Amino acid sequence: MEIKSLAELKPKEKGKITKVKGSGAVRRRILDMGVVPGTELEMERMAPLGDPVEIRIKGYHLSLRNFEAENIMVEV
Amino acid sequence: MSEVTIALAGNPNTGKTTMFNNLTGARQHVGNWPGVTVEKKWGGLKHQGYDINVVDLPGVYSLTAYSPDEVIARRFVVEERPDMVVDIVDAANLERNLYLAVQFLELGAKLIIALNMTDVAASRNHRIDAEKLSQRLGVPVVRTVANRNQGTKELLDRIVNLGQSVNDADFRIDYGKEIEREIKNLQEIIQKSLLSLNYSPRWLAIKLLEEDDEVTRIVQGKG
Repeated sequence: MEIKSLAELKPKEKGKITKVKGSGAVRRRILDMGVVPGTELEMERMAPLGDPVEIRIKGYHLSLRNFEAENIMVEV
Repeated sequence: MSEVTIALAGNPNTGKTTMFNNLTGARQHVGNWPGVTVEKKWGGLKHQGYDINVVDLPGVYSLTAYSPDEVIARRFVVEERPDMVVDIVDAANLERNLYLAVQFLELGAKLIIALNMTDVAASRNHRIDAEKLSQRLGVPVVRTVANRNQGTKELLDRIVNLGQSVNDADFRIDYGKEIEREIKNLQEIIQKSLLSLNYSPRWLAIKLLEEDDEVTRIVQGKG
């Protein structure tokens, strides 16, 4: 088991969320979208330079900015 | 002749607009919500002798004050007090969609869940026990397939039914001992103030603890 940020995941790599860092409205928003600790996700693909990234979570696709992905810690 | 006003709510892409069209047909009006360039649609119909007014809320994932759409949806439910909220839930994305449903329940709204796209859910082998969902949440759940106009009549029957009954939904999330203690403290203060005339004290307390900008402003304004 290794903990890293979502931004470090490679396409097709799966992980389980352990922590959502950050604060305020942006963090709240990410939690609202279903990105909560304990949830499994899969990195689908990333744009050149890794921004934005697209993940699959709870059966749907979600695009995140790199700075958002960096705040999401996952266990792989 | 009795009149019922319902707010049609739901996440984006759940078939809300299709449902709105099914319900109101040609009797639609389009305008803007006050002060913003977000489209407001409303319409009406008659069912079982009731005049039913339908207001289409913007599609939102949540009722925080994050985007203008969310503020509009929340303000309408909190301040205009529709007789009930019909939440169009995408059965194929149930978990994420129920997040919004729970927020309406926390607001103290009278809620009906339209479990939509049940055909898509079935094709993905998701079997949803609507009865159990209804029991757990304490609100009516109606299965619909809006793009084939299935379940619309049942939904209207439920709307009329619920329109005649009192709101006895008592669903609440237990936030754990420490947070519940703070909610209770705030709730007691709110109940003694004029705010409790217009807002659910528990909801205001939760939003204050979340440091929600808009609710903080409301409370400061009427302190």
